[in-house]
Amino acid sequence: MKGTHLGEFEELVLLAVAALADNAYAVSVKEEIEEKAHRKVNISAIHSSLYRLEDKGFLESSVGGATNKRGGKSKRFFKVTAYGYKSLKEAQNLRQSFWNIIPQLSTQE
Amino acid sequence: MKQIQPPKLGKKLLNLLITEELYDEFEGDLAELFQDRLENSGKSRARLHYYKDVLLSARNADLRRKLKFYNPLVMYKNYLKIAMRNLLKYKGYSFINISGLALGMAACLLILLFVNNELEFDGFHQKKSNIYRLDEVQRFGGVSEQKVALSMYPMGPNMLADYPEVVNFTRYWTAGKSLVEYNNKRVYMKNLVRVDSSFLQMFDFKLIDGSRDNAFQNNRDILISETLSKSIFGQEDPLGKVVKTDDGDLLKVTGIFEDVPENSHLQFDALISTALWDSEQRQNRWGSNYLNTYLQLAPNADPAALEAKFDDFIVKYMSEESLEAYTLFLQPLTDIHLGSMDITHDYNNHQKFARSSVNIFLILAFFVLLIASINFMNLSTARAATRSREVGVRKSIGAFKGQITGQFMVESILLTFFALVIAMGLCAMALKPLNQIIDRELSFNLFFEPIHLLMILAVTMVIGVLSGIYPALVMSGFNPVLALKGSILNTRASIFRSSLVVFQYAIAIAIIIGTFVATDQLKYMQNLDLGFEKDNVIAIGMFRDTNDKYDLLRSELNNLPNVSAVTATTQRLGNNLHQTGMQYRADTALINGSSSFVAVDNNFFDFYEMEILQGRALSDEYAADNAGLSFVVNETLAKELAASGGEVVGMPFNFGGSDTLGTVVGIVKDFNYNKLSLKVEPLFMSKQAWGWSEINVKVKGGGVQQSITEIEGVWTELFPNRPFEYQFLEEHIDQMYRSEQQLTKVISILSVLAIIIASLGLFGLASFTVRQRIKEMGIRKVLGASMQQIVFILSRKFTFLVFIAFAIAAPVTWYFMNDWLASYAFSIQMGVGIFLIVGVGSWLIALLTVSFQSIRVAKSNPVQTLRVE
Repeated sequence: MKGTHLGEFEELVLLAVAALADNAYAVSVKEEIEEKAHRKVNISAIHSSLYRLEDKGFLESSVGGATNKRGGKSKRFFKVTAYGYKSLKEAQNLRQSFWNIIPQLSTQE
Repeated sequence: MKQIQPPKLGKKLLNLLITEELYDEFEGDLAELFQDRLENSGKSRARLHYYKDVLLSARNADLRRKLKFYNPLVMYKNYLKIAMRNLLKYKGYSFINISGLALGMAACLLILLFVNNELEFDGFHQKKSNIYRLDEVQRFGGVSEQKVALSMYPMGPNMLADYPEVVNFTRYWTAGKSLVEYNNKRVYMKNLVRVDSSFLQMFDFKLIDGSRDNAFQNNRDILISETLSKSIFGQEDPLGKVVKTDDGDLLKVTGIFEDVPENSHLQFDALISTALWDSEQRQNRWGSNYLNTYLQLAPNADPAALEAKFDDFIVKYMSEESLEAYTLFLQPLTDIHLGSMDITHDYNNHQKFARSSVNIFLILAFFVLLIASINFMNLSTARAATRSREVGVRKSIGAFKGQITGQFMVESILLTFFALVIAMGLCAMALKPLNQIIDRELSFNLFFEPIHLLMILAVTMVIGVLSGIYPALVMSGFNPVLALKGSILNTRASIFRSSLVVFQYAIAIAIIIGTFVATDQLKYMQNLDLGFEKDNVIAIGMFRDTNDKYDLLRSELNNLPNVSAVTATTQRLGNNLHQTGMQYRADTALINGSSSFVAVDNNFFDFYEMEILQGRALSDEYAADNAGLSFVVNETLAKELAASGGEVVGMPFNFGGSDTLGTVVGIVKDFNYNKLSLKVEPLFMSKQAWGWSEINVKVKGGGVQQSITEIEGVWTELFPNRPFEYQFLEEHIDQMYRSEQQLTKVISILSVLAIIIASLGLFGLASFTVRQRIKEMGIRKVLGASMQQIVFILSRKFTFLVFIAFAIAAPVTWYFMNDWLASYAFSIQMGVGIFLIVGVGSWLIALLTVSFQSIRVAKSNPVQTLRVE
């Protein structure tokens, strides 16, 4: 499994990119994570994760969508690759397999 | 509406942090966030957050950064290796190059050491910036105005009482050599000084034992130096011991101080309180100056403002008229060592030195270093030719111009540091002999103080850069094609090099001429007829008990076969003489004046073979002479007396406010009792029954040592309690010129160094020039040129260079040395001779240097030289 291992934060970023579909770039990913995970994330952390994930082949990217708000600079949109989906799936399956063998706990409040 | 932009500084920072490829996207993201925050939380928070984002982006600094295939370390290693190989390949040039620079650096370092020592004189006193010496300007009658380092006994205490800005004072009143006795052992205290109890509060002389605060609690407490303590008490604990003086006083030792350091202008080996000599009469004795007074001012006090009040002080305690005779001024403690050359009667100023000499040293050090640096630069540039192929190869492989420059700069800096290490070694070796010459205790440790070390390294760096920059630029500018062909002949550079050689030689010639003139002047002064015979005269100190037996001592000494004459005096010749007031009656008016005065025995004039111009010398035959009523005046005073009318010989005359006037009986030709830089001042002499301070014994030439032993025999027999000590008058007179002697000695060494270094440079340069013309010479030889012709052709250029250097140096030197000579009352005339000798001499040295190379070429076989490709 070496090389395909996903860190916790990386997994979050990957999931956010997947969820955002066509509108996944650094700022939107940051907002998505902040909203869903209720935690403050600095943009620099998002940046390093995104580009590392791309280097590892989980993501692919394309450039476009410059806005006035960005001072005319274009965005880099990310998309999850097939390999990325596979890794996400694997991670989920791994978790599920643990859940399956955990003795049932009461989920009542 | 234009929207608010993120801070520019933040953008710039981000640009530095993030690789170019990603920068646009990053900046866009950050800008978007900025705009969001601008809306939600306001401008300042948004800006703050923007900065935070930028700073945190530092983590992405290496993101997507391309690896550069540039590893300078490898190249540096190569530079070093090539530098070392070149050093070893051309051992001769490397030696000349480095040793020349090292010599210059060593000379410079040593001089700096010395200069530092002079500037830091008396620097160990914490309160040095608040301590001043009270000096006087005196104007008495015919004696021209003079600054003296003397003051009056009551001045200190009254200033302390009158002026709030004076917070402390101490007097420094030497008692000279005194004999003390302990357990039947007699030892001279060489320099007993009477001081006030505040002395140790003001000055930081280190105490080893005893209390600083209660050092002078009782009048008969005495503090002695460590060395003196050892010689009196040996291993015993000196504290509380009682010693007996030759006056029968019992003094208790209450403290031991460390031997006074060499860099203190005050030198003493025993201290005692002035209180023992204090009396109401003395406290009110204004007008006699016989001690030094030091004042400590409040930290914020203005010395100039205080000086302005001193006129009132004189009026208050003396009189309105005294203002004509005295002006008081303050001399900062830190100025005493170097700033007292114009101050006379400066008896307590150990190693007194002229600030101007320190400056001369500094200038010389600079020039020697400059010559050495130029050498270095010149040789490196000359060597550029031999390394043109290397540069060509480097350039064709792809070296940038900057890299070549860098390489040669690094090389030159390296060599400079190499030279520095050698210079340090040379310094360490030369320090001891130098200390002997200049009579100082310079310590090498000074170099290793962080600040000095840093400065030395910085200066070395600068020398390395400056002397490396020209050759580096020349070499990096080579055209690679020409360089590879090995046909670099840069005529422009050769003109530049030639002018550097001219400059070097001009400096060296100037220094040498200066040295010759200074040495000549000094020699002239020392051999000048002083107007009295100083050879073979021994001076022996006299004391109260020895004076009681003066007549006996004199006749015993006269009986010795090797002694030709004995006389006595109150002051030794060969320094300034004390002054006193005088009265004389010209026509009918009684005139008051002032003049130097020394009491002498009647045979003084015969003894010193002085010429009596008019009247007669003193003689035992006249009752008036023995009673102290006959006076012999010198020419200068005679002129002054004659100016007020009347015949000088026979003029009623006396001194010190005496009621009965004696007579002037003779006029003696002016003799130079003081330094020859000073004019002879008015002087009169008579015999007074005060007791002598020394006797002068003239011994017959040959067997001087023998006669001293005999004199000692007589002395010890008469005064068994008195150790016999003596000094040759000639030595004493030489001591007056010690400062100048030291100066000329050091300058001589420097001038030799300067010419050696300059010649080294010339030698190196000549060898390169010769090498460049080796083929030309081969062809000349083939065509029939003789050896002489070839040597002549090769030497012609250098002769020309030395000639130009001489033409530049000579007038400048003449101008400055003339100025310097003008400061002496008796000076030599600078002749053309010195200039010619130095000019021809340096030309010969240059010729010799060059001929080493040219003769080799001239003798070489043209077949071989022409084959060189």
